[in-house]
Parts: sequence; structure tokens; C-alpha cells
Amino acid sequence: MLIEIGHFSLVLALIFSVLLMVLPSIGLYQNKSSLAQLTKPLVWLQGFWIAVAFIILMNAFLANDFSVKYVADNSNTQLPVLFKASAVWGAHEGSLLLWVFVLSIWTIAVSIFSKRIPSDLLNQILIILGAISFGFLLFLLFTSNPFERLLVPPLEGRELNPLLQDFGLAVHPPMLYMGYVGLAVPFAFVLAALIRGQLDSTWLRWTRPWALISWAFLTVGITLGSWWAYYELGWGGWWFWDPVENASFMPWLVATALIHSLSVSEKRGAFRQWTVLLAIGGFSLSLLGTFLVRSGVLTSVHAFATDPTRGLFILLFLVIVIGGSLVLFTWRSHLLQKSNHFALLSRETGLLINNILLITAMFTVLLGTLYPLILDTLNLGKISVGAPYFNAVFVPIMLPGVIALAIFPFVRWKKDSVSRLTSLLRFNWIGIALLILLARVVITDNIYVLIAIGLFIWVTFHAIILLSKRISAKSKFSLAFIGMIIAHLGIAVFVLGATVTTQLGIEKDIKMDVGESQNIAGYDFVFNGVKPHTKDNYSGFIGDISVYSGAKKIAQLNPEKRYYQSGMPMTEASIDPSLARDLYVALGEGLEGDAWSVRIYYKPLVRWIWLGGLMIALGAFFAAIDRRYFARAKS
Amino acid sequence: MILSWQFILMIVLSSLFLAWFLYRPVKPSLSDDDSNIAINKQRQVELELDLSQGHIESAQYQEAESEIISTLASELRSSSTKNVTIEPLKWLILIVLSTGVLSLLVYSQLAPKIIPNTDAALTEPMSMSESIEKLQDYLIENPNDFQALKMLGLAQVGTGNIDSSIESFERAFEVNPNDIDLLLQYASAIAANQDGMFYGKSKALIDKALSLDPQSIQVLYFAGIVLAHQSDLDGAIGYWQKALYLMPDSHPDRNIIEEALNTILNLQVK
Repeated sequence: MLIEIGHFSLVLALIFSVLLMVLPSIGLYQNKSSLAQLTKPLVWLQGFWIAVAFIILMNAFLANDFSVKYVADNSNTQLPVLFKASAVWGAHEGSLLLWVFVLSIWTIAVSIFSKRIPSDLLNQILIILGAISFGFLLFLLFTSNPFERLLVPPLEGRELNPLLQDFGLAVHPPMLYMGYVGLAVPFAFVLAALIRGQLDSTWLRWTRPWALISWAFLTVGITLGSWWAYYELGWGGWWFWDPVENASFMPWLVATALIHSLSVSEKRGAFRQWTVLLAIGGFSLSLLGTFLVRSGVLTSVHAFATDPTRGLFILLFLVIVIGGSLVLFTWRSHLLQKSNHFALLSRETGLLINNILLITAMFTVLLGTLYPLILDTLNLGKISVGAPYFNAVFVPIMLPGVIALAIFPFVRWKKDSVSRLTSLLRFNWIGIALLILLARVVITDNIYVLIAIGLFIWVTFHAIILLSKRISAKSKFSLAFIGMIIAHLGIAVFVLGATVTTQLGIEKDIKMDVGESQNIAGYDFVFNGVKPHTKDNYSGFIGDISVYSGAKKIAQLNPEKRYYQSGMPMTEASIDPSLARDLYVALGEGLEGDAWSVRIYYKPLVRWIWLGGLMIALGAFFAAIDRRYFARAKS
Repeated sequence: MILSWQFILMIVLSSLFLAWFLYRPVKPSLSDDDSNIAINKQRQVELELDLSQGHIESAQYQEAESEIISTLASELRSSSTKNVTIEPLKWLILIVLSTGVLSLLVYSQLAPKIIPNTDAALTEPMSMSESIEKLQDYLIENPNDFQALKMLGLAQVGTGNIDSSIESFERAFEVNPNDIDLLLQYASAIAANQDGMFYGKSKALIDKALSLDPQSIQVLYFAGIVLAHQSDLDGAIGYWQKALYLMPDSHPDRNIIEEALNTILNLQVK
């Protein structure tokens, strides 16, 4: 009966989302405040029943209730408890329930932490979030019911995809969804302002902290995904330009543009039309990502479903959301015409350049992602667009962006002069040039690494100068300022890590006999053999490799070759991590005698990639809790 | 329709929660004007800070200050609307009725017609013959329940009673002849009675499934088997390669198709 209660909870949530759209709307448009003030309780009720459904489904996994088809398809009694719990979102139906659950968390958060927003605007925002929730609940209940029963329950369930039997599944999807779904909040703010015809200072002020938080979650989610892929897929890569990765990266690029555009709109009243379009674009791309993952148009480790009905539903929803928003934007565009003046050299221009570069980069990724799909759909042949295209196009577009992000915090609002800037920074630029020359002499002559070192020094140096100037002027440090510095430093750390590990990393795919040693990057890897290894949910082999630096043993690595119940082989890499380098070993195939093929990687600065990502997210969290967002307005 | 006291309780609790808010006096809230004034005041303070820290020149400061003032002036509406009072009881009845009727109506469309005894399933699973008996009892009351007929056929295959399963599948086929899963199961059951060979009606069923969904991995797999049995090895390879192309790398059934493909490729070499 518990399963039926879970199912009925979702139905109740659907009905409350309908009431959330109808009752407060009547209250708002007929000035019936008693009805309008039902918005928050309806949001809480809807969220409560979704949470009940989510907990019941998780309980079904933990209790091995194979009478539920979704549980029987994705779990079995041998699965460890952590994987049973995270298997809830390991396939289509449950991950969609997580989508809806996360949306309800965001909606409840908006209803609780928006005491400084006028109630009419807040009610309108919650109504729109309720409408989005309604669309997804409808999709969940009518095409993807996670509570579907099997009349004859099997004695044992099937298996969760072995790739997903990892701690990464417990953290990556929830974080990513917090970001993906969180973009619904700035979208709802913008749509509410458009519907009310009040595109004023209030919505601009309050959209930014929510955009920052969702962007921070999206950054953490993408970073965790990259880290997971690195250690799980067994070949040391950290970004694959997989279409579904791109589907999460595109909203990230647009959201990055949005948080910068919002700062100009909020402080100086410029770019308001552009800001509205970015908020609509960010959420639309998040829906596009959902469509790509769930429609079956993509074949990928991330692809959940190959059901055209589901794809059609999301496509229809996508068309309604994008079409409806753009119609609304056109209708209200006259209210957004006014834009305050700024000169060619000004901080506003810097943020405009940032936006242009980010959106251009987004379109190149969109083109590379969708073009093969469009060709395939039109039967015009199959082409593959991979890393060479994305690296060749994306990197040169973002390079000037990284240079600009160090300079423009020094540029004044509205108008500045080149002479003031050069006199302010010229000695620092000479210092930076000397440091890059020193790096050329002492560290490397690899041009790409030199560029990355140059960018790292460029951004770090400018950040230090900015801080020192603030300290010497005895200025107050706002959290927004500290957040900006951390996030920009995070970009520099990421660029250096990504370039150094790609350019200077070493990879060897070799045959090793017991007792044999291989020297890679100054480390001796000694192969001590392989023995059988069994756990509850898999069996296989575990390798024993000792790593020496000179005569000193520095690590014991135990890579695994696992065979899960489905027979699917999995490579489980073993890593000796450090901030300076990773030593990464993966087991290949057993060869004649006791020999095995082994892949050994030396990955310098690879951890800086994820450190940079986390710094960017941390910066956004700091900016979102700036004091200005807690100042109370009095009635 | 499944109606239980738990569902009624869920509806009643939700309605009571809403009733409490419906009867609560309306709280005064911040108006748009109050909010815009406060924000623009704050913008002005920030602008002064920017000036003192040298982030804006004094000439541009004047311009920015007048922009803030004109922005605020354009945003102020000073339109106060009179609150219209409502009769809470009338609305509460409407909420309770609409929640109750709509939720039970939607649930009746979505809910399974019979619920397995899950308590038993968790501790001591039902035997296959018990399941078959339960399904047969249920089908006496609901002779045209497609899912139950299909499930009965599957359970009968599980007990080795192929003839009965073919009868059950035939009945299900009469109810819904376009269900891909049924077509494949039905064809497999007939083939099981033909020494595993797909010809005659079993082949016709696979052909029908293929015409309904030429992109289905399962259908492509079976279509390959049909052609392999007709010694059309190239055709079988074509279907299986297509199935592999459509499958994610991590698909659990990938090994089965790869094995079949390897077997047939070896046959071709020989």
C-alpha cells in the first residue's frame, strides 16, 4: 500500500500545482488577498507530497520491493545500501522525480527566503514555478511513473548500470539538478515581471542572488561530473565534449553571462532587454538538455531513455516555454527600451564583451552538439563532431575573456580613459611580462603551457593588485567583491590545471609481467601481480602495483577489473592523488602467463581543474550572500 | 478505482492545512513602491561608495545619480487597490471538492487495477502457480484487461506451459494487437513450440512489430533472429548492427547481441 500512497502523493502534488496556478491568480487579479495568500501554503503542500513520494520510492529501493517495476529494473539485493539509495535517480523515472523534487525545494526556498520581495511579485513568481512543476508532474505521471507495479514480482531485481555503481551517483546528479532546475527561478522572476508589466528595480535586485546560487550549484554539479568521469571511466579524461555534457555546459555559459549582465542592469540600469533574454535562454537550454537526455535522440552514458513519446512531450513543453516567453518578451519589450548611457571604455563595456564572448562560445557548442543530430534526422549522413572541433573553436573565443576579466574590475563605471588605466597598471604589466619570461626559461617552452601560465599570472597578479589597492584605500570588503576575486582566481586555477594536464600529462599503455618495473615521469611503477577479487555486487581481479620515487615507496595502487551481474566489464582505476600531480593506474586485459596490459598516467595539476571549479562556485555563494541582499525595506 | 482511507486522510489533512491559511487574517505586505524606493536608496548609497573609492568619476556620478532618480520616478505607481473580502467557507468547500474529485479521478486513470501482495513479496515471494491462479481469478472479473492477460501469458511461459501461454497471448492480442512487447513475447512462445524456429505466425508477429517500431532494439534483435533462421545472414547482421548502434554502451543486453553477431560472423567466415 505504501507504493500506492507514493503514487497518490504525486497525484496530489499535481492537483496542488493546478490549485497553485488558479487560486492565487484569482486572488491577484480580483484583489482577493485571502486567496493570494494561499500561494505559500500551496507551494509547501505540493513540496511536501513530492517529498513523501520521493522518500517512499527510496524506501522501496532500500527494502528491495521488486513489485515496483522501476526498483526491479534498477536494483537487486546484492547492491550496497548507498547505491540502492542513489539508484533512485539512476534511471529515467526516478531522475525525473528528482527533477521535480529539486524544483519543489527551489520553490519552497523562494517562498521562505523572499521576505523582502513585494508579495504580489512573489506570488506571481511562485505561480510560474508551480506551472513549471505542473508540466513536469504531468510528464512524470503520464509517461514515466516510477511507482508502476509488476503483477508478478521477480525474486531478484536486475542491475543498476555498473557505471553508476559509484559514490559519484550519490552527489553528481543532485548537485547538477540543483543548478539545472535552479535556473527556473531567475526565469520565473523574469516571467513574473513581464506578466505584471513591472520591469522595475525590484525584480532586477532579487533575480541576481537566485541566479548566483543556481549557477554555483550548476558549477559544482559539472565539476563533480568531471571528477567522477575522470576516475570512473578508466582512461584519465576529465571532459569529453559528450553531447549531454555540452547540454549542461551551455546553460552554464548562459547563466555566467546572466549573472554578469544582471550586475550591470541592477547597478546601472543598462542591458535590461539582454538580461531578460539571458534568463529565458538559460532555462530554455536547461530544458533542451532534458530533452536531449530523455528523448532518445542521443546515445550516451547519460542518456536515460529511448522513448519518442517522452521526447515529444518535452519538445512540446520546450516549445510552449520558449515560445510563450518570447511572445511575452515581444509584448512587453517597450517597457525595456530605456537603457542608461555608457562610454566605449567603461566597466559596462567590459561586461558586455564578457557576455558576447560567452554567448558566442555557447553557440559554437550548440552548433557542434546539434549539427550531427540534425544531419542524422534529415538523413543527410552521419558525422561526428568531437574534441578537435570544440577545442579549436571554444578556446580562442574564451581566451580574450580570461584576459578581460582581470582588467575590467579596474575600469570605472560609465566612462574611463586608456591613459588612466595604463598609468595605473603599466608597472604591473611589466612585472607580469618578466614573470612569463622567467617561466619560459625555468619551467617550459611549450607554448600552450606558457599561455596558461601567462593567464594564471595575469589574473592572479591583477587580483592581488585589486586587493592591495582596496586595503590601502581602507575600503570595506563586500562579500560580492570577495566572491568575484575568488571566482576569477578559480578561472585562472582551472585554466592552468586543464592546460598543464593536457599538455604535459604522460600516458603509457603497456604489458607488464610480475616483478616488472616502468619508469614514468621519474616514478617507478612495479607490477606485483593480479589476484581474484569478489564483493557482493561484482567479482573480478585486483592488481597490485607499488610506486617508488627513487628508493622510497610512495604509493600502493590497486586497480580493478570488475565483472558485474550483467557481465559488463568495468575498469576501476587506482589513483595516488596530490595537488601537484596524480598517478593513475588502470588494469587492461589479462595476457599470456601472469602478464597484464596496464595503463599508467601521470597527470600534473589535474586536481587544479576541480579546485578551480569549486573556487568559482564558492565565489558565487559569497556573492549571493552579500549584505545588500539582506537590507530590510520598510513599509 | 482504488479508494482507501489513507487517500481520504491525505486529502483531509491537506485541506485542513489550507483552511488554516484561508481563515487567517490577511497580513500587510511590502508594496512595489516601498521596495523600489528602498532599492534605489541603496543604489544611491552604493553609488556614493563607488565615488569615494574611485570606481566612477564625479561627472559620471552626477549623471548616474540623476538616472537613479529618474528610474525611481518612472517606477512609482502609487496606486492602491482595495482588498476584496471572500467567504472562506465557500472557497474551502471548493478546494476540498476539487482536490478530492480531481485527485481520485486522475489516480483512477493511472492506478494499477490489482495490487500485488507486497508484504508477501518482501518476505516470501508468491510462487509462480499462485500468481497464475490469482491472475486467472482476476481475469474472470476483468476478461479484457490487457496487462493481466499479457502477465498471465508470461507467467505461463515461466512454468513451461507454452500452449496455455499462447492462448493467453492470443486473447491479449485480440484486445491490443499493437503492443510491441506482447508481439515479441507471443512470437517467442509460438517459436518455442516450433523448436525455437521463427516461421509462420511467429515470423508474421515479428514483422508486424518491426513495422510498428523499426527503431526498437528488442524488435531489431528478434528481426535478426528471424532472418538468421531463413539463412539470410547479411540481413541478420544488418539488424543487429543497427541495434548495437542504437544501444548505449552501458546497455545490459549489449553482450547478448554482440555474442549473436560474433556467432553469425564466425559462421560466415566458415
